[in-house]
Amino acid sequence: MEFAEPAEHRALRETVRAVASRFGGAHYAEHARQSAPQEELWRELGKLGFIGINVPSEHGGGGGGLVELAAVAEETAAAGAPLLLLLVSSAISVEVLTRYGTVEQRAEWLPRMATGEAKVVFAITEPDAGSNSHRIATTATLEGDTYVLRGTKYYITGVDEAEALIVVARTGVEEASGQAKLSLFLVDADAPGMRRSAIEVDAMLPETQFELFFDEVHVPADRLIGEQDGGFAQVFHGLNPERITGAALGVGVGRYALERAADYARVRQVWGQPIGAHQAVAHPLAKAKVEVELAALMTAKAAWLHDQGLPAGEASNMAKYAAAEAALAAVEAAIQTHGGNGLSSDYGLVPLWSMARLMRIAPISREMILNYVAQHSLGLPRSY
Amino acid sequence: MNVVVCVKQIPDPAAPGALDPQSHTLVREGKLILDDSDAYGVEMGLQLAGDAGEVTLVSMAPNQEVSGVRTALAMGAAKAIVVSDPALKGSDALSTAKVLAKAIERVGADLILAATESTDGYTGTTPVQVAELLGLPSVTFAKKVTVSDGKVRVERQTEAGFDEVECPMPCLVTVTAGVVEPRYPSFKGIMAAKSKPVDQLTVADLGLDASSVGAAGARQEITSVAAAEARGGGDIVVDEGDAHERIVQFLEQLKLV
Ligand SMILES: Cc1cc2nc3c(=O)[nH]c(=O)nc-3n(C[C@H](O)[C@H](O)[C@H](O)COP(=O)(O)OP(=O)(O)OC[C@H]3O[C@@H](n4cnc5c(N)ncnc54)[C@H](O)[C@@H]3O)c2cc1C
Repeated sequence: MEFAEPAEHRALRETVRAVASRFGGAHYAEHARQSAPQEELWRELGKLGFIGINVPSEHGGGGGGLVELAAVAEETAAAGAPLLLLLVSSAISVEVLTRYGTVEQRAEWLPRMATGEAKVVFAITEPDAGSNSHRIATTATLEGDTYVLRGTKYYITGVDEAEALIVVARTGVEEASGQAKLSLFLVDADAPGMRRSAIEVDAMLPETQFELFFDEVHVPADRLIGEQDGGFAQVFHGLNPERITGAALGVGVGRYALERAADYARVRQVWGQPIGAHQAVAHPLAKAKVEVELAALMTAKAAWLHDQGLPAGEASNMAKYAAAEAALAAVEAAIQTHGGNGLSSDYGLVPLWSMARLMRIAPISREMILNYVAQHSLGLPRSY
Repeated sequence: MNVVVCVKQIPDPAAPGALDPQSHTLVREGKLILDDSDAYGVEMGLQLAGDAGEVTLVSMAPNQEVSGVRTALAMGAAKAIVVSDPALKGSDALSTAKVLAKAIERVGADLILAATESTDGYTGTTPVQVAELLGLPSVTFAKKVTVSDGKVRVERQTEAGFDEVECPMPCLVTVTAGVVEPRYPSFKGIMAAKSKPVDQLTVADLGLDASSVGAAGARQEITSVAAAEARGGGDIVVDEGDAHERIVQFLEQLKLV
């Protein structure tokens, strides 16, 4: 068992933290309020090779894995500037394209994803198929040498920033079970026939979500990723990375919130002593600190398992659960510690709460993780 | 062109520092980082060395420490010499200069860069002592450095503005924080730094007599340390229509404008 961090990982964390700190929490809060992506931070980290850290080196990437990508997600968030698209473009899309993309697809997309120039987002959720991907109703039908996509997706993040998106669509039905056969397609963000409409959300996030209408969108057959009907397994290959990166982002948000809270509680005095001297203030922060550290441990384990090619489903789910809960507890305690200032724009904590709160719902909800753990870790009957 | 950059590895200035009760010097145990003021020299060195030349780092540090040196290697320096020796404990600026000068001699540099002063010691005397020991000219407080025809041209920061100075190479130049914007290490740089050569040397390797360095060779001693005076409340300028004039007067007194 080895818990010491190698020097290069420490250097990676320190560098990402230093770059992201130049932007920091106030910059993030401003962008979240205005629904404006932190483009400059993304570009800067991209140039230095941190956005494409898990892209194979033969495609110009860092040749790292989820351990490294999780460090990037954690440290940007710990600097107050979480990057939601790391979960999507860098985690799911890079991992799926690397593993299942054709030689041409990899050569076309990965080098520009390695530098952060091109973002590829991910569309699975549908109005009638949220947590249940078996009910995906968007269809792809092979007509001549193109697939034609029909259907609707919603809550798709960052389509406005992306060059393309990976769309999960139904290409058939399993005869025995009656369940959908799924396939993945690389669709240009400006593909004719794909209309998008921004979803108004009251949560403050830099990234925008879209409802997408596929009205006979023609996708060349060479844009199929991997094998037709093999989509389930392929999606699953991307989902653990998304959960691990999401967990890391949660850990980072938690660290940032607790740092702000502890700084405040050390200096703010209302009864002639710092408010941090009151256990009612200190204990929620201490408890959240414990939870954040535990989540960080499970995140490290999940990333390591994934990188070793070992089953990482259980650890990734647990890490994501723990980190989302820890981030929320940390932000909540930080807001309470700040009293009225906790809600002020000057302290920028409410935008962070939006991000932490999102982590309990997406990319997979808390309840679906508990379902997974109940069924797979405890052997309990599946309830749905 | 080959450039040597002297880099100091210091305790993280963000962490609370401690003084050794006996020697009154900063406790430098544990992890050290690259002194921020040296990042400017490293960047300047990388820019001046160009593709044909290379940057060699020279650092004297306790316990074979390389954390800070790795940062500079990750930025792009080619290799490093780190001098560590129990005999170096208690070194003053001159002892440090002797060690650095001996290490630099092994490299053969066209140009030696250093910061004007370190963030943890602030003596600001080591670099010029290094130059003197090497018998080289030195130029201090550079805010701009260019090289052509075997000469460096330096804009040397002064209180009033800057002097334009020309100096034949090899020479030593100390750079201020404004000289260039240091790059961040890239991920590839960080990974490459792992396998770049770091030559770990002792006082004996350098051919120095242990009695001429460290506490034994120090000509300078810190006899006592006193806490700095608590900061005063400051003057509050209440605007009665002439605040701008009073602020300007105040800044003029401090020679800031
Ligand atoms: C800001 C934001 C960004 C997003 N980005 C993307 C994106 O980029 N791409 C994408 O494809 N999707 C995205 N999503 C969608 C997200 O993944 C889904 O919202 C999430 O998976 C939940 O699905 P749903 O909203 O349909 O909820 P539903 O599935 O309708 O669930 C509603 C509630 O019921 C619970 N529930 C459902 N089934 C069960 C069950 N069997 N047992 C117990 N409880 C259950 C859920 O946990 C939840 O609390 C995003 C969502 C948000 C809010």
